[in-house]
Amino acid sequence: MDTAIRVEGLVKRYGSFTAVDQVSFTVNRGEIFGILGPNGAGKTTTLEVIEGLLTPTEGEVTVLGLDVLKHRNEVKARIGVQLQSSAYFDYLSLKEILSLLGSFYPKRIDPQTLLEQVGLLDKSGSYVKHLSGGQVQRFTVAASLINDPELIILDEPTTGLDPQARRNIWGLIREIHQRGVTVVLTTHYMEEAEELCDRLAIMDGGSLKAVDTPRNLIGRLQAAYTVKLAMDNPLTEVQMASLNGSVEFVQELDGNSYLLRLKSGPSSLGKVLDEMVRSDINLERLEIAPVTLEDVFLELTGNELRD
Amino acid sequence: MIVFTLTNLKMMSRNRQATFWALFFPLMLVVVFGLLDIKGVGSPNLVLVDQANTEASELLREQLAGIEFLGLEQTQTSESAARLRVAEGDLDYLLIIPVGFVDLTPEGSSIAPVSVAFVHNTRDLQRNQLVDGVLRNLVAKVQPSNLSSEQALQVVSEEISIPEVSYFDSVLMGLIALGIMTSAIISIPVRISTYRNNSILKRLLVTPLPIWKYFASEISAHLVLAMVQAAIILAVGVFVFGARVHGNPVWLFVIVPLGSLVFLNIGFILSAWARTPAAASGMGNAVVLPMMFFAGTFFSTTTFPWIFPYLAEALPLTPMLSAMRQVAIDGAPIWETWPQLAIMAGWAAGTAVVAAKVFRFS
Repeated sequence: MDTAIRVEGLVKRYGSFTAVDQVSFTVNRGEIFGILGPNGAGKTTTLEVIEGLLTPTEGEVTVLGLDVLKHRNEVKARIGVQLQSSAYFDYLSLKEILSLLGSFYPKRIDPQTLLEQVGLLDKSGSYVKHLSGGQVQRFTVAASLINDPELIILDEPTTGLDPQARRNIWGLIREIHQRGVTVVLTTHYMEEAEELCDRLAIMDGGSLKAVDTPRNLIGRLQAAYTVKLAMDNPLTEVQMASLNGSVEFVQELDGNSYLLRLKSGPSSLGKVLDEMVRSDINLERLEIAPVTLEDVFLELTGNELRD
Repeated sequence: MIVFTLTNLKMMSRNRQATFWALFFPLMLVVVFGLLDIKGVGSPNLVLVDQANTEASELLREQLAGIEFLGLEQTQTSESAARLRVAEGDLDYLLIIPVGFVDLTPEGSSIAPVSVAFVHNTRDLQRNQLVDGVLRNLVAKVQPSNLSSEQALQVVSEEISIPEVSYFDSVLMGLIALGIMTSAIISIPVRISTYRNNSILKRLLVTPLPIWKYFASEISAHLVLAMVQAAIILAVGVFVFGARVHGNPVWLFVIVPLGSLVFLNIGFILSAWARTPAAASGMGNAVVLPMMFFAGTFFSTTTFPWIFPYLAEALPLTPMLSAMRQVAIDGAPIWETWPQLAIMAGWAAGTAVVAAKVFRFS
């Protein structure tokens, strides 16, 4: 498969602080590639190197077959970029902003056509400040398409949007993807990564933890189910040890409750319950759920992903 | 780049509030000075050309120096150079003591019937009369009191006619420069810090637009704005309040963009430190207001005490004001202001280098 982006051994340091440490991955043409991680994971820094905004301390980045450092302008001309929380000029209408941005590129799409694609044709004469949050995000996605790019990079396209507006943006991203545009996006929403992305990179603390399809990432965790237990009393060490054969303790939660993962399939749950009865463990609540990306993330980083 | 410049102008014209205030402050001052008919606060200056070099002429110099109001200059200059300065309006009063002026030593008893020449221009007739009286009085005092009226020295008044220049004509130039300086030094850091906070600068950086084109378009749009601003302030001053421009007003529009360029660069420098638009506006004012006073927007800086006249020379607004007044008040052609234009060009180049060094995009 054709490669859209190749990042190899990327390091970006600011003084003694290492923002990105030895990150390598490739993005294939025509896929939706997600970078998942909490704030400060190094997602934006990685993107800014790819976009040609930052010069890496070490490593090589090729975009559409071009070395970003050597062909900065050609790369910029062929990709579309949506920055995190970027605003636009105050006193220009949507159409005028798109015309202005288009004037910077050798190849451009008619602003009206773009606005129609993102459902903002009736707003073409309005200022950005008169749009709703979801409309602004749709507009910034449209703006990243002004040069008819082969690849678009979206930095947290749905952050701060309500669920409905978020789904609306997902639909838009899928449409763009269906036209053959490669999409790279960052997010800290698990659901978004799982729903939208063909492949995912999980980043934390500046380094890359895993790259795979969401399904494979989940499959990596041998257990397919997590169990949340709440007891009347905290478990004693002996009680914990007795359960250790069939479950794995993941986390101790508040109020005498525990997050466990079944070591084998759902049928092993019976064994766990039997063991509990034998060990005098008084269960107050029991929840069983399939493993999600959230669990994968927890496993890989030891941290929960928060907004 | 032309598209970007035009777009910038479009944005400025739509940002009515900012544009209004950019014009309002200088225009308000035009109205104030136009209505109040202030005579100006500057005091006159006087040069004494002493060709006699006698004890009496020395005594006269001392006494003149004692009258602070007259502003006696201590420099030695030739009669012709001093006359030229009067004719150009640079010098208010010139007193020429000829050879043969009264000699108080015993051997110098012969008194020739020479007359002292008092040369002045037509700028302030009332003040001329006052100074004339003071000088006659002083000259009479340094002569021996036993002289007959035929022997007594005469003071001959000589008037050099120069175009009548009111304080308002002069201050109007200051107000044009002030308007241009204010809008450049305040507007640029406010815009840049807004753009930076909203990631607009970064948004431009991810496009293939060479970033110098952004700066060029920002500068060209502001230069156009400066010309329009200057034209409006000048027009209000001339047509509403009857100010006179004695030289060719077209030359003003050569000086205005050059000065504006310097102030725009200063604006770009300030923008490096301004984190928020509010801070930018405060910093702009902190630069603009002292410069407005110390560079002589309203008063002649020569009357300032202590180091302030030298400070004035070190400010970029000073050569701009001086060139504008030389062109508009003294009617000089633009090429005669080359020293000021050269200083301004130096400022423009120097501030551009500093701006390029300190500017930050994020």
